Parts: sequence; C-alpha cells; structure tokens
Amino acid sequence: MKFDAEAFIREQVELIRNAVAGRAIIACSGGVDSTTAAVLAGRALGDRLLAVYVDTGLMRKDETEDVERTLQDLGVNHRILRAADEYFAALRGVSDPEKKRMIIGRKFIELFEREAKTFGAEHLVQGTIAPDWIESGGQLRDRIKTHHNVAGLPADMKLKLVEPLRDLYKDEVRAVARALGVRVAERQPFPGPALAVRVIGDVTPERVALVRAASAIVEEEIQAAASRGLMLLPWQYFAVLVPVQTVGVHGDLRVYGHTVAVRAVESIDGMSATYSKIPHEVLDRISTRITNEVQGINRVVYDVSNKPPATIEWE
Amino acid sequence: MRVFVVDNGGQWTHREWRVLKYLGVETKIVPNDTPVGGLQDLDGLVLSGGAPRVGVDPSKMGRNGEYLDAFDGPILGICAGHQFMAKHFGGEAAPAKVPEFGKSLLNVREPDVLFEGLPDRFEVWESHNDEVTVLPPGFVGLASSPNCSVQAMRHRSEPIFGLQFHPEVEHTQFGGEIFRNFLKVCENPR
Repeated sequence: MKFDAEAFIREQVELIRNAVAGRAIIACSGGVDSTTAAVLAGRALGDRLLAVYVDTGLMRKDETEDVERTLQDLGVNHRILRAADEYFAALRGVSDPEKKRMIIGRKFIELFEREAKTFGAEHLVQGTIAPDWIESGGQLRDRIKTHHNVAGLPADMKLKLVEPLRDLYKDEVRAVARALGVRVAERQPFPGPALAVRVIGDVTPERVALVRAASAIVEEEIQAAASRGLMLLPWQYFAVLVPVQTVGVHGDLRVYGHTVAVRAVESIDGMSATYSKIPHEVLDRISTRITNEVQGINRVVYDVSNKPPATIEWE
Repeated sequence: MRVFVVDNGGQWTHREWRVLKYLGVETKIVPNDTPVGGLQDLDGLVLSGGAPRVGVDPSKMGRNGEYLDAFDGPILGICAGHQFMAKHFGGEAAPAKVPEFGKSLLNVREPDVLFEGLPDRFEVWESHNDEVTVLPPGFVGLASSPNCSVQAMRHRSEPIFGLQFHPEVEHTQFGGEIFRNFLKVCENPR
C-alpha cells in the first residue's frame, strides 16, 4: 500500500470542517508543511481562515517577499507581521539552543493569540508533522529538541489546536502538497526558529546576516550544480555559523575571522539522514565564494555527520 | 491483519507504525502500560525501542514483561524491546562496550524466516547505548555487527524475535522485507 494523498485530503478537509465551527488562524511560515496545512484548512473554512506569517528577522534572503507571493497565489486571507526588533530583543544574550527555541516559540504564540483575538478565531491551525512531536518528546520519549509548535506552546494557551499533518512525514506532506498544487511542494525543509538555530551562540542581527549571506551562496551553488547535472539536489542544504574564530591571510595581512560549516543531507523523512557526497568542485566553489563574498568569514568546513548520531540541524 | 506497536518512547516508534501501515496492516501505537487484556484479537505485537536504559534500569519498560509472558501471538522486539526481552527471559543486557549510532554492517549468521530472501551482509541503522550481552536460555543468536555480537535473536520454538538494529528506519537496507517476513509469521505463527 502507498500513501493515498487524495484520500487524505478528503478526510482532513472533512475533519477540519467538523473541528472548527467559527474562525481559525493558521501559523504559516511559507514552508511545505504550513502552506499545505493552510491550503487544506482554506478548503475546509474558506473566508473563516486567516494565514499569519511572522517576519522574525531570522529569515533567509528574500524569504518574506517570497512567502507573501505564495500566500497571494493561494488566495487565502493573510497577514504579514514584521517583528524583527521584538525577536532580537528577546534573544539578546541567549546562546543555549533550547532557550532560543522556547523564546521563539513563546513569541510566536503571543503574536498568534493577538491576531486570533482581532480576527475572532478560537482555533489555531498548525502544520505540525510527526518529527516535530516525536523530537519534542514527552513522558518516556526524550526531548531531542524543542519544536516551537509543540513543546514551545504555553500550558495555558487558549487557542484550540488543529493539526491535520500530525501523522505525516515530509515525503508524505510533499505528496499532499503536489496533489493540492502547492507551489512550494519541493521546497527544502527550514526550521521554525529559522536562522537563530543556525547561528551557534549569540543571535545578533550581524551574525544572522553572516549566515544568511553564506546560506544564500550554498543554496545558489548547489542548485546550479544540480541543474548542470553535477549532482542531485540534496534533501536539505544550508550554512551554519560556528562560534570559532581562526587565522587567515588576506592580501598579505593577518585576519582572524569567522567559520562557516556547510551542511547537506540525504533523507526521506528527516528521522535518519546521511551527509551528501557533494563533488569537491562544488564544495570548492562554495568555499571560495563564501570566503570572498561574505566579509568576516575566512574558513569553510563541511559537516560529514549522519543522523544519528548527529541531527540535521546543529541546534 | 492487526499488529500493534507498543511505545517504549522511541524516536522511531511512529516509523514502525508507518512501515506496518504501508504494508497494509491495521495498526496502532499503544502506551507500554496498556493491560495485556487490551491487546486481544491481534495477529502480532512490536515492542518498540526507546529512551529507557534497559541495561541500567529496566523499570521504565511498563508491562513489556506481561506481553512477553501472556500475549498470544508473534512478538518482535526492537532495540530496547529486544534488550528487555533478553533480560526478561533470563539473559543479560548491559551498557555496550562500543555503542553504535548510525550506519553499521549486519552479518546474518543463522538462516531464519526473518531474513528469508535477504543477503548475508547488509547495511543497517543503529542507535543504542546498551546491548544484549548474554542470550536467554532457549534463544539463538541470528546476526551480529562488528561492534555488537547479538544484533538479532529468536526463541528456538516460539515466534518471539529480537533485533538490536532498526528495520523501520528508511536508511536500513531491506527493513521493509524484514517486517514483511515478520508479518508472514504473524499470518501463520506455527
């Protein structure tokens, strides 16, 4: 038996319709999961649904504009909230990865509750998928990391949760997305806490800008190499800013700069992964471009860890 | 066919549920304190892996012991489920000398229905701190890896199996086939 996306869609639209009598908001990052959930909920609720996207200041290059276009294309009611200052203020001086995730999660809910009140919604639809609640742990299950949409929710939250994708993994969500004609069906996964968990250590606008620039180069070069047939597109590929400074030499002068790790993995469901065997010529181009184009970075390393023992993201 | 998964708190418990579902089986994840009376009319049971350190403190394994004694049908224990099975039947589980995480190579030493149609050596995915150090009486070791001598075991006459590696993980080769072979046993347990 294979996963039957069409049957799943019929079933979930019906379930959402039954669960939500009034209005609902959906937390939409523009990724595959939340956009798919938004389309499902949109089919069930029509105008009674409002999609809310938060620009946390932690997004990738051109991401907010891109998501805005996606939401317009989908034809759902939506609101774009710009909250970068609030997020950076809340994250100031925080380097512990779990604290970062909790702070970001709480902030999200604060904003969603505010929007829900204005819109008159009692329900919060989320694109939570199986690895989110599995890795968030609970009872016997250890917490590997706090997924903001599960373990980051306050115990006294008033909004009622609707999570149509809870039992699916990424490959199945993509199947649903394709069946629904969602434009971002093939987009690579991106964590809810965004670039905050790709800046190891303190999260400042400057450090986020470094990893954003490096990540854009990783994405461009890997996508170009894949379209030239040098490699297949990995499941996920990005840059991480490592809190290690090392010595370099730039035009006969000593520099002491930042280090970026490139991460690319192969997976189906995000629950196990192998590192991608990227051709050296592609790594070479990525390294040369990052160290030349992103001021402050003078060293690039490649992460060759599988999951387990590592996880895909560094935090 | 109905085969349930007992949740011992594993990262891959839900993957076991998915693999069974994809194989067309009626399945459900149940907590490990479910009374054995609540597991009637099933054709088989999977005891999942999980965070409990069976080699150190098996107390978090709920009613797994009752299932092993009283469940009427084939049982497949995975990782912590496998280690607990060994301990419960009089063998031993302890912290592994070399814990395994990620890729490993399975060496099938004894032919068995579980590995029917599969090569003698293939890649499997691991994630364990403890391991079976002494086989329980009445059990036979089926497979090993370079750093773990009991990667698979079964009871000599009963349809009770244990696997240290994770057949439910996408990166394990022939994982679906191993489940299919277990389901064949469930279909025809004797």
